[in-house]
Amino acid sequence: MEEMILSVEHLSKQYQLGKIGTGSLRQDISHWWKTSVLKKQDPFFYSGENKDFIWALNDVSFQLNKGEALGIIGSNGSGKSTLLKIISKITSPTKGFVHGKGTISSILEIGTGFHPELTGRENIFMSGYALGMTRSEIIKKFDEIVEFTGISKFLDTPVKRYSSGMYVRLAFSVAAHLEPDILVIDEVLAVGDVEFQKKCLGKMQDISHHNARTILFVSHNMAAINNLCSKVIWLEKGVLKKEGSSKEVVKSYLEQFAQPEAPREWNDPESAPGNEIIRLKKTSVEAIGQGFISVSTPIRIRSQFWFFDEGFTVNVNVRLLAEQGECVFELGSSSVSACRSIMELDVVVPTPLLNNQTYSVTLTVVKNYSQHLFEFANCISFTVQDERKDVSYYGTWPGVTRPIIDNNLYIKENL
Amino acid sequence: MSEATNHWEWEIGPKTGFSLEELKSVFDYRHLLSATVKKEFILNYRQTILGPVWLLFQPLLTLIVYVFVFGKLMGVSTSRSIPPVLFYFSGIVLWNFFSDSFSSISNTFRDHIYLYSKVYFPRLILPLSILSTNFLRFLIQLALLIILLVYYVTFQHYTIIIGLQLLCLPLAFLGIAFTSLGVGLIAALLTAKYRDIANLIGIVLRLLMFVTPVLYSLATVNNQFKWIILINPLTPLFELFRYSLFGEGTITPHYLIYAFSFSLLILAVSVFLFTTRSSKLIDVS
Repeated sequence: MEEMILSVEHLSKQYQLGKIGTGSLRQDISHWWKTSVLKKQDPFFYSGENKDFIWALNDVSFQLNKGEALGIIGSNGSGKSTLLKIISKITSPTKGFVHGKGTISSILEIGTGFHPELTGRENIFMSGYALGMTRSEIIKKFDEIVEFTGISKFLDTPVKRYSSGMYVRLAFSVAAHLEPDILVIDEVLAVGDVEFQKKCLGKMQDISHHNARTILFVSHNMAAINNLCSKVIWLEKGVLKKEGSSKEVVKSYLEQFAQPEAPREWNDPESAPGNEIIRLKKTSVEAIGQGFISVSTPIRIRSQFWFFDEGFTVNVNVRLLAEQGECVFELGSSSVSACRSIMELDVVVPTPLLNNQTYSVTLTVVKNYSQHLFEFANCISFTVQDERKDVSYYGTWPGVTRPIIDNNLYIKENL
Repeated sequence: MSEATNHWEWEIGPKTGFSLEELKSVFDYRHLLSATVKKEFILNYRQTILGPVWLLFQPLLTLIVYVFVFGKLMGVSTSRSIPPVLFYFSGIVLWNFFSDSFSSISNTFRDHIYLYSKVYFPRLILPLSILSTNFLRFLIQLALLIILLVYYVTFQHYTIIIGLQLLCLPLAFLGIAFTSLGVGLIAALLTAKYRDIANLIGIVLRLLMFVTPVLYSLATVNNQFKWIILINPLTPLFELFRYSLFGEGTITPHYLIYAFSFSLLILAVSVFLFTTRSSKLIDVS
C-alpha cells in the first residue's frame, strides 16, 4: 500500500494589506481585546470582504504519497509560494493544518544562506547548514557538490567575484545534494544558462525517480512539470482549482490561458478594414483536435472577405510572422476570378512545424497576379503552447519553427 | 483520516504553541550557529590590514578617553585602590558585551529577514549566534584586561588577593549574557512589528549606562539616589565582576539573587515568546 507522507488540510492564510506600523498597534490592541478578553470573533479580522485583508490561501487540501512528485501551478499571486512557505515552516497558516512525516527541506530561492564575502567553499558549508544538512553530510558530499558545479578552480574565491552564472551553479549544487524525505522547490530554474538548467532538471528527475523522494515543485515551465511530476495541483487566487494527473491539469490550465485570440469579425461592410473593392469580414484561428494550440496541433486559419467588384483574377497571400517579425513562410492561395460575393480562405498549418511562441498573420490580396489590392497587416495573432514528449530538455527551444527532421547519430568507427 | 493522525510525525497549525522539540532542534543546528559566528568574524576582519586587532583597539580608545576625561579632567574618584585604567577597562569590557549583544539581538529580524523568510531553522539560532560572537569578542577583551592586570601587579606594585572570588567571574558574565539575550529577544519581537522601538533602543542603552556602575562603583554613589542604581538588575553583576577580578565591590546575597532571578526569568519568558511568536512576525517584518 502507498504510504501517505504529507497531508494538507483546509489550509488558509490571511495577509494584512497596506500599512503596518502606524496605527497597527492600536488595531492590534483592539483585536486582542475583542478576541482574547471578550472572547468573540473580531468581524473586522475575519471578514472575507474586508479590503485590508487578503486570503492568500483559502481552504486548500491535498495529500501526497511517498515518492510522488507534486507540481504546483498557477498564475502569479495564486498562493503557490505561500503554500510552500507554510509547508516549509517559515510562516504559519491562519487556519488549517499540515501533517507530515520525515525531514523536509526547501529551496525557495537560489543561494539560501550565501554571503558574498565568503568563499565558495565557505558558502557551501554555510548554505548546507542553513538548508539543514549536518557537518558530516556536507563533508561526505563535498567533492560531489564541487564536481557538479564545474567551477572547482574558484572554490577559494569570495563569491562576490563570481559571475552570476557561477553563483547559480554553486548555489544549486548545494541544494541538489540535499537528502530530505520531502523536498520543496520553488521556481528556481528560471535562472542559469540553458546547459546548467538541463543539468539541474536531470538531477531533480534523478532525485524523484530513483531515490523515491517526495517532491513539491512550483514552476511556470509546463514542460518541466509534465516530465517531473505525476500529480499536479492548480491554484488560483488562493483556491485549489483543479487536482489530478499532471497531463490532465496542465492541459486545462493551458486551455484557459492559451485561448486563441477570439475571432475578429466586422459586421458593417462600410467600416470594415479594406477599400472599395475588398473589405475584411472575419478572421479566426483555432486548434484542430483540442481546445488550445500547441506544438502538436494543426492550426486552422480562416478569413472571410467581401468583394464589391468583378472581372479580374484574385489570390490571397498568407504570411506568417514570428515574434520578432521574421517571416516564417508566405503562401499564395489558388487563384479565383472575382465576383460580388463573400469569399472564404481556409488554411491548415500542419504539425510539426511551429515552435512555441506567438505568431501573427498578415494577409495580402493580389489582383491579376501583380497588383496589391490591400494588405491586412497582423490581422490575427495566436500563441503556440509548448508540449514535449520523451525529451529530457526543458529550456527554451530556439528557432521560429520546430520541425521534426529525420537524423541519424551513430558510431562510425571505434577508436 | 482520523486513524492516520497518530502516525504523523509533525504538524503545522495556526496556533504555534511552545514545543520542546524546537529547543532541542537548536542543538541539531549547532553547526549553523558556529558557522554564523565564524562568518561574523571573517566578515569583520577580512580585507582589513589590522584584522582582529580592531577588536582591542576600540575598547582601548574608549579607555583612553575615559581615563583622560573622568580621571584627569574631572577627577572623578573611582575606587579606593583599583587603578583607574583597570577600573574603567573592566567596566568598558563588560558594558560593551551587554550593549553590543542587546542591540544586535534586538535587530535580529530586521537584519536577517532575507534568511528567515527563505528557509526554516530554529529561529533562536541567529540571536544565539549573535550572543556567541559578542561573547567571543568579550573573552578576547577580557584576556587583554588580565594582561593589564598582570602588568599592574608586576610593575606598579598593585596587589590583589587571588582567591575563591575568581570563581564568581563566570557567574557575572553568564548573568550579563542571559540578561542581554532576554531583553534582546523581547526587543527583537517588538522591533519586528513596530520599527519605532529600534530607535528607542539606542537611547535606552545610553541612559542605562549611567545607572549601571560602569564608570563608578556602587560604593561611591550618593545614598539618596542609590535606589535607582539598585533597581537596575545589571548593577549587582557589574559589582560581582569587579569583585571577582579585583577583590573589591559591593555585593550582597539578596542583590545577587535579585539579579540572577531577573536574568533567568527574562530569559525564560523571552525564549518562550520568541519561539511561539516568531513565525507570525516573518509576515510583517
